[in-house]
Amino acid sequence: MEIMKTITLKRSIWAYALGMALMLIAYSGQAQNYYVYVTAESEDEVSVIKFDGEKAENIKDIPVGVWPAEIEGPHGITVGPNGEYWYLSMAHGNPYGTLYKYKTGTDEVVGTVQLGLFPASMQISPVTGLLYCVNFNLHGDMVPSTVSVVDVESMTELEQITTGAMPHGSRLSADGMKHYSVAMMSGELFEIDAFNLKVARTLDLDEASKMLDMDHSKMDHSKMDHSKMDHSKMDHDADKKEMDHSKMNHSKMDHSKMGHDMGGMKHSAFKPTWVSPHPTKDVVYVAGNGQAEVLEIDTKTWKPTRKFKTDKGPYNIDLSPDGKYMVVSYKTAAKTGIWDLESGKELARLDNSQKVTHGVAISSDSKYAFVTVEGMYDESGKVDVIDLSTMKVVDTAELGKQAGGIAFWKVDEE
Amino acid sequence: MKTTKSILVALTFLMTMSLSAQEIVIKPEKPVMEVGEKLSIEAYVIKDGQKQDTPVRLFSRARRELFIDSTLTATAYKPGVFDVIALAQGAGRTNFQITVNYPPITEVNIQDVPEKIYSGTPVSLKYKVMDKAGLTRDDAAVTFSSSDESIAIINPFGVINSTGTGKITITAQAENISNTVNINVVKNPIKTIELSVDGDQGRTGDVFHFRAKALDAKGNEVADAPITYSFSGISSNSSQEASGLIRQDGNFVANQAGTYTITASAGVAAGLRSVTITERDVARKIEMVGQGSVNDKHTSDLWIWEGVDGRDYAVTGTWGADGKAYFWDVTDPASIVKIDSVQVDARTVNDVKISADGTICVISREGASNRKNGLVIIDVKDPSNAEIISRFDENMTGGVHNVFIYENHIYALSGGQKYYIINIDDPKNPKAVGKYELDTPGHAIHDVWVEDGIAYSSNWGDGIHMVDVGNGIAGGSPSNPVKISSYAYPNKANHASFPYKSKTGKFYVIGGDEIFPYGLDTGKGGVNMAGGYLHVIDFTDLDNPEEVARFEIPYAGSHNYWIEDDILYVAFYNAGVRVVDLSGELMGDLRAQGREIAWIIPNDANGYSPNAPFTWGAQLHKGHIFYSDWNSGLWSAKMEPVKPQETKIQSK
Repeated sequence: MEIMKTITLKRSIWAYALGMALMLIAYSGQAQNYYVYVTAESEDEVSVIKFDGEKAENIKDIPVGVWPAEIEGPHGITVGPNGEYWYLSMAHGNPYGTLYKYKTGTDEVVGTVQLGLFPASMQISPVTGLLYCVNFNLHGDMVPSTVSVVDVESMTELEQITTGAMPHGSRLSADGMKHYSVAMMSGELFEIDAFNLKVARTLDLDEASKMLDMDHSKMDHSKMDHSKMDHSKMDHDADKKEMDHSKMNHSKMDHSKMGHDMGGMKHSAFKPTWVSPHPTKDVVYVAGNGQAEVLEIDTKTWKPTRKFKTDKGPYNIDLSPDGKYMVVSYKTAAKTGIWDLESGKELARLDNSQKVTHGVAISSDSKYAFVTVEGMYDESGKVDVIDLSTMKVVDTAELGKQAGGIAFWKVDEE
Repeated sequence: MKTTKSILVALTFLMTMSLSAQEIVIKPEKPVMEVGEKLSIEAYVIKDGQKQDTPVRLFSRARRELFIDSTLTATAYKPGVFDVIALAQGAGRTNFQITVNYPPITEVNIQDVPEKIYSGTPVSLKYKVMDKAGLTRDDAAVTFSSSDESIAIINPFGVINSTGTGKITITAQAENISNTVNINVVKNPIKTIELSVDGDQGRTGDVFHFRAKALDAKGNEVADAPITYSFSGISSNSSQEASGLIRQDGNFVANQAGTYTITASAGVAAGLRSVTITERDVARKIEMVGQGSVNDKHTSDLWIWEGVDGRDYAVTGTWGADGKAYFWDVTDPASIVKIDSVQVDARTVNDVKISADGTICVISREGASNRKNGLVIIDVKDPSNAEIISRFDENMTGGVHNVFIYENHIYALSGGQKYYIINIDDPKNPKAVGKYELDTPGHAIHDVWVEDGIAYSSNWGDGIHMVDVGNGIAGGSPSNPVKISSYAYPNKANHASFPYKSKTGKFYVIGGDEIFPYGLDTGKGGVNMAGGYLHVIDFTDLDNPEEVARFEIPYAGSHNYWIEDDILYVAFYNAGVRVVDLSGELMGDLRAQGREIAWIIPNDANGYSPNAPFTWGAQLHKGHIFYSDWNSGLWSAKMEPVKPQETKIQSK
């Protein structure tokens, strides 16, 4: 019996070992490789970063631009919905920047079109097939800039929609029908009807941020001079007890009579730099770079609903496709924050590999976040890969100077 | 075998499947419009044969020629066939075309018709075709005919060749519109051509001024005689052809030594004069004197100056690197010593300039970590202890590529779009007082240089702009820059401009190209070639500037340059520094004329990219030529003195 037991045990061990080996083989057979495209803004290069679950490596540097002796600044990058092409905004031109269309894999240029001043972040709507790119325009005077709308099939700019000063962050709602961007200097959130190409709504983000801080019970309304406010655009429906700010036309208000002279164009303290719509819910998340916070805005009510206090300089945001996580780059702090959207808690705040954290892209399976880190001076740009299950930086890949824009391309199974 | 797994692809596929049953319908199917017409286009979605309420948007791919508004009303501004995109949620996209008919031609306008033609003298007819929309139709096919070909024929290019005399009618026709002009071909009174010139001997590159006078049998001048100048020549060198340039105002320049005969003709009458040309013989030896090596990064521009302590100094920038500028003691050009550096938040310090009194340095910043580029003002009273005084980035955050200091003002480019003028009376508190920006579509600027109160900016396709910023010629000032003149050349590559007042009384501005036809490998080890050349523009008549000459090095390209005492010192990237004789009037191909005095190429086996010369700029200082090289740092060279001429050249 003992012998039999031993044999059985040995068989079991062997069977276990064999099973494990098969599992390992099977596991290794299902090893996944993740690929992202990353811009090196001060190198005029785009790099392809491959991550195999353990190791991140730069497998290809693609020279971009046409003015070799000048830094043209590849800034924004996105991969089209069908994965066949990637698109790159070159910030500097003569003086207008250019949108380039490349074939994924071969990385050959297949089309270009001139956009506005300093075209930056962008995305393509899978519904309209159009690309929406903000023209960041940090040249000269702070004036309202635009969102360029491009037909990527013919690479034709169809429209430039005027928004605010220094627009940044360009993301579409999950249904592809609403485009969101923020204006960094004028502190506004813009919602554009992606089909009719018109601004549908705007939101003053400085005011929105304050709204969440307000304790109305402690406010002394007796000091407000209502006679100097333009209430004509307000909805005075007597049945409504709550003021509907979304129906107020702030542009018609005479702020000079409100005791806070703006001195020309508003310079937002909130300094929004990014907006990301939730993949399934009617909310967007806005990075307030100037105030170390992320605001959650309900797109049904057009009101702020939650505030996430972050480390210094929240800059870019990406949400995991499963809707669980929000990953925020903290540019000034050189850190990355990972938030649980359900609880509103910051699960991890990770040090990045060097200074100036920039962009975030999360893999399509919601497993990994790829974070670009610009560096300073002649430091190489870097991509930190974060495992969203362990909340740790797994590996870092290097590329050219000032790693900035990042776009998730694909995940391969081997 | 790899299997690409992409949720996005699957979604797209599913989406496509769900859309397949819907279709956008356009009516009329192939719209045709006239210029100026508005047309309401019907566009809707059908599904299973049923018309849907789904809204459709139409977008013209050529908005300036054909615009379609949100009500789907198309407005035609120009003729042509235009692509239109139709989009509808759930129905994808449909492409179709709208044809806007070319308006009928309404006029063939024959211009500058001569009252009479002297028989035997060819005359070119000038004409312009207009259509109903008032547009000039260069595309229209025009045919010509003569009413009497025994008197004159007209070729398909509109050139009238007369062999007889009498009145004829010339007809020009486009589509079914024609125009006729009556021309009187008269007997050619010209019997002789009297040709004069301001000398009969000279050197290659010297400009001769031939002037022809047509005379009749009585010796009277025929003032309206059409004169044509041409030349032939015999080169002194049997292996080289005689070559040169003659303009139709009679100005002639020879490229090769030899004997040249210039002919002025009007029909069968002709006048001839010959000139003898010798070699220009300006070549001088040049020798490298010293080097201040920078081999861990690219070097950009340079400036050399005499410091307040009487010693000589240089500052150089860096490119695509760590934001450093280096200061050098170059008092002994054979021993260039790095004495200090400053580091700013930038990847490229493209330009460096020093104030005339040698106390203030300004450097440009590009590639800042926070993208707030701009400029930095540095105290260089003691260049071995260069101290940053202030930074200025107001309205400059798009990047400052080039700067200049003139009379307590910094002229700084902003975002490649315009230049600001910044007062630095108090260098701790620089203050923008003015700006200059063109109003042309898509305008861009690359450089600005100031001399005698005039700013010379280089504006790519918009060319050279001369702006009064204190000269007084146009009442301008730093706070009120006023344009004086401009000149744009066809290749749209104007990158640098430098004024040059010739002792001949001519006023030239030399405009330089920047072109990289072979790309640029910016990495360590990259070996590169550039393209482009220098354009010499005669601005003597400010209202009518004219391009008169060029300096070009084959398979290399011009960059920054310096002119002093009728000599041009120009960096030609992979062709090093070229030294060029600018004396006398300038016309034609200066290098072909043997005006190149010397050249030196900074090869450095220990360079950032070894043995890959790529010279950025050159400057003469106290008899030495200093030059910066992209791959090897700062260099100095010296030319041998001018050698005495063994043979006296007869002056014109």
